[in-house]
Amino acid sequence: MTDPSLVDVESLDQHPDSLASEEAEPTGRAKGRVITREMVLMLTVPPILIAAIFGGFVWWRQTAKLDIVEQNQLNWAVLFQSHWHQVFPSWNPLDWHKPFPSWNPSSWYDGPLLQGLIWEHILLTVVSAIIVVLIAVPLGIMLTRRGLNVLAPLVVGVANGGQAAPSVGLIVLLFLWLQGGFWTAVIALSLYGILPVLRNTIVGIQSVDPTLVEAGRGLGMTNRMTLFKIELPLSIPVIMAGVRTSLVLIAGTASLACFIDAGGLGEILQTGISLFKFSLMVTGAVLIACLALFIEWLGRVLELVTRPKGI
Amino acid sequence: MRDFVKDRWGEILYNALQHANLVFQAVLLATIIAVLLAVIINKFQKLESVANMLSAIGLTIPSFALVGLLLPLTKIGAMTAFICVAFYAALPILRNAVVGFSQVDADLLESAKGMGMSELGILMRVRLPLAWPVIHAGVRTSVQMSMGIAAIAAYVLGPGLGGYIFTAITQAGNENAVRYALVGTIGIIIVALIADLLMLLLGRLTISKGIRA
Repeated sequence: MTDPSLVDVESLDQHPDSLASEEAEPTGRAKGRVITREMVLMLTVPPILIAAIFGGFVWWRQTAKLDIVEQNQLNWAVLFQSHWHQVFPSWNPLDWHKPFPSWNPSSWYDGPLLQGLIWEHILLTVVSAIIVVLIAVPLGIMLTRRGLNVLAPLVVGVANGGQAAPSVGLIVLLFLWLQGGFWTAVIALSLYGILPVLRNTIVGIQSVDPTLVEAGRGLGMTNRMTLFKIELPLSIPVIMAGVRTSLVLIAGTASLACFIDAGGLGEILQTGISLFKFSLMVTGAVLIACLALFIEWLGRVLELVTRPKGI
Repeated sequence: MRDFVKDRWGEILYNALQHANLVFQAVLLATIIAVLLAVIINKFQKLESVANMLSAIGLTIPSFALVGLLLPLTKIGAMTAFICVAFYAALPILRNAVVGFSQVDADLLESAKGMGMSELGILMRVRLPLAWPVIHAGVRTSVQMSMGIAAIAAYVLGPGLGGYIFTAITQAGNENAVRYALVGTIGIIIVALIADLLMLLLGRLTISKGIRA
């Protein structure tokens, strides 16, 4: 039957993905490390899908007759360009024994390393996600400690409502305030991505059985020990679900970074829409979707790997 | 800022209503489709995890990318925005509807059958009311999500407040740019808050009294 408490959790929830993991958690704890059918599907199907779609793109890219605009936008260099070979000019596995070319720093390459649109997109996502985790997890922990925990329901409420805040609006406002560019986009993306992680950290720690913490105290554990040995390990599945949700949100929102000169794959799509060129629109969209799916999949793998064995 | 809003009050209000209207229509269609799909999925247990996977994959696709994929089919305009919003709105509802239906106690269905209720009667009078709190939570989530997606869909001239945000980009440097962006962003948040309150009210009115928390 419909359990009222469950409904409560669900109405709190904004992203159905994190909901599923919270729901699955109690059964997971009872049976040990379970891998459900759904998890298997989610871990196997997306990579196949990505490979198929990306393969289709590569095939089309190599065989179709591209006009000049398409050639410019879909150049492999534009997509994937990187400058590692300029950082390590002599790097060649065959002459590894050769010394580094110069010890004079002024001759070292100091331009951008990863310039392709895909790299830009990944860089935006990864940098923002790291910032999000570094800020949201400690902040979430702080908000569950005594003294500050009165604020926790407020933060959870804001985090739930935050989904409705339009990501474009946030990006554009920051752009008007700070000018465009990579770091403005990173700030916007981190602000947008913080909410799910913060929320799941608070909810995850709060849902740890208080008797377990009590037991820890009975064993003579200090505050810090109960946090690191009991509360955090038990709430990691929930926190990681939040991290994955936020990774997906960030990867998707990074496609809007092109509006503020921060690059990313959105650029192809934007060009496609401006020129009303279907090939560019579809390519841009497909690449963005593939990357988002891939990042989602990485998040799931991360979730599985970080889950403590006991639970 | 005050004068700015005052001068354009009628227009802003119109766009806010358009925004709410787009979300309302899209979510309504999404609810109907998702619940019907969930009824079918509920019949075949094996489909459940596949449906969950598909909705997870669907939610992963960024809305801007879906706009790009839809454009060749539906051209620039409100239709693209509508389909885009409805697509994302359907996914959380589908997920919750599947969960909601599967939580209905089999004994209750058994006894309903024993009382001579038809398949449709059981669905309408037993399963749907019992699953409705969960479905309703999904609809509420959908409404919130759709508000932000409708803003992005405004890039292809979808209706609503998102247009102000994109006006702000084209007017960057102009002193009105920030005002446009603020009107768009804050306007959407206000519309979303009001919509959420209405959804709460709808829940109060539609969730069967017997199972209300």
